[in-house]
Amino acid sequence: MGIIEKVPVYIERVPGGGVVTTSLDWVLNQSRASSLWYMLFGLACCAIEMMATGASRYDFDRFGMMFRASPRQADLMFVAGTVTHKMSKRVKLLHEQMAEPRYVIAMGGCACNGGPFYYDCYSVLKGIDKVIPVDVYIPGCPPRPESLMQGCLKLQEKIKKEKLSDWASDRKKA
Amino acid sequence: MTKEEIINRFKGKFGSDIEVVENNQPEPYLYISAARYQELCEFAKNDPQLDFDFLFQLAGVHYPDSRFEVVLCLSSHRKIHKAVIKVKLDKDNPATVSVSDFWATSAWFEREAMELFGIKFANHPDPRPLLLYEDWDYGYPMRKGWTGPDFIPMPEK
Repeated sequence: MGIIEKVPVYIERVPGGGVVTTSLDWVLNQSRASSLWYMLFGLACCAIEMMATGASRYDFDRFGMMFRASPRQADLMFVAGTVTHKMSKRVKLLHEQMAEPRYVIAMGGCACNGGPFYYDCYSVLKGIDKVIPVDVYIPGCPPRPESLMQGCLKLQEKIKKEKLSDWASDRKKA
Repeated sequence: MTKEEIINRFKGKFGSDIEVVENNQPEPYLYISAARYQELCEFAKNDPQLDFDFLFQLAGVHYPDSRFEVVLCLSSHRKIHKAVIKVKLDKDNPATVSVSDFWATSAWFEREAMELFGIKFANHPDPRPLLLYEDWDYGYPMRKGWTGPDFIPMPEK
């Protein structure tokens, strides 16, 4: 990460350099948002809705989102389903294996805050944001494919507001 | 065999150690004393008329008045009948014998009961924990009145 940390800082110091960084921002954000490759990480019932959204009726591929099975090739992780304490360590491991810039969408009630398993349950982690940083929360049990797509479009809006220095500085690392 | 025939066959061998639960279920529900539990399992498996060759559920129970029980659900593939056997265990030290010699499917169910209730099964071939995560040391979660970290009980209305 050596060069990419320093380049925006030096460019901005040059008079008129802000134009370059904002144009670069625009190009990079457009390209990141338009081809979010998501990692197939379905744990429970929300995985079925994720698969249905990726299938032909409600298509993800028209947004440029392809599914990749490996975290090394993905830049978005849908945490779809109930996360137990036993599984949460492995979720954290997989999240750390994704390359930055990486985004997480918590899909469904169980990933947002434990869902129907919030009370009287010894084994369920109450929300995936206790172990990994989450960008978009999509409530529902399970959320309809249209809700899931609205969540992805919200993530795309969020990506388009990013700046070059976000991933280089410590602001986004967690 | 019908429900009454199964009950009579068990009563013929075990007499007063059997106690029948009266309910409207199509299967016989029988209580057996803890001392003759293993003998009954051997009889249920090997008897040519009863022929219970499949155990499809073994569960531990903890009642609100602190009794422990073990419930077995047996079925027969050839004779197509079922039975439910219950054993009452000690309140302070629930322990009994493992039936994995007779039905291999009981091994994992007994591991689950050992881990979640604390019921000990003697002569178990593989007494490792099954479901909870590796550094769990917060007790037996399925007992009544258990609390632990990250456990939020349902609030009273």
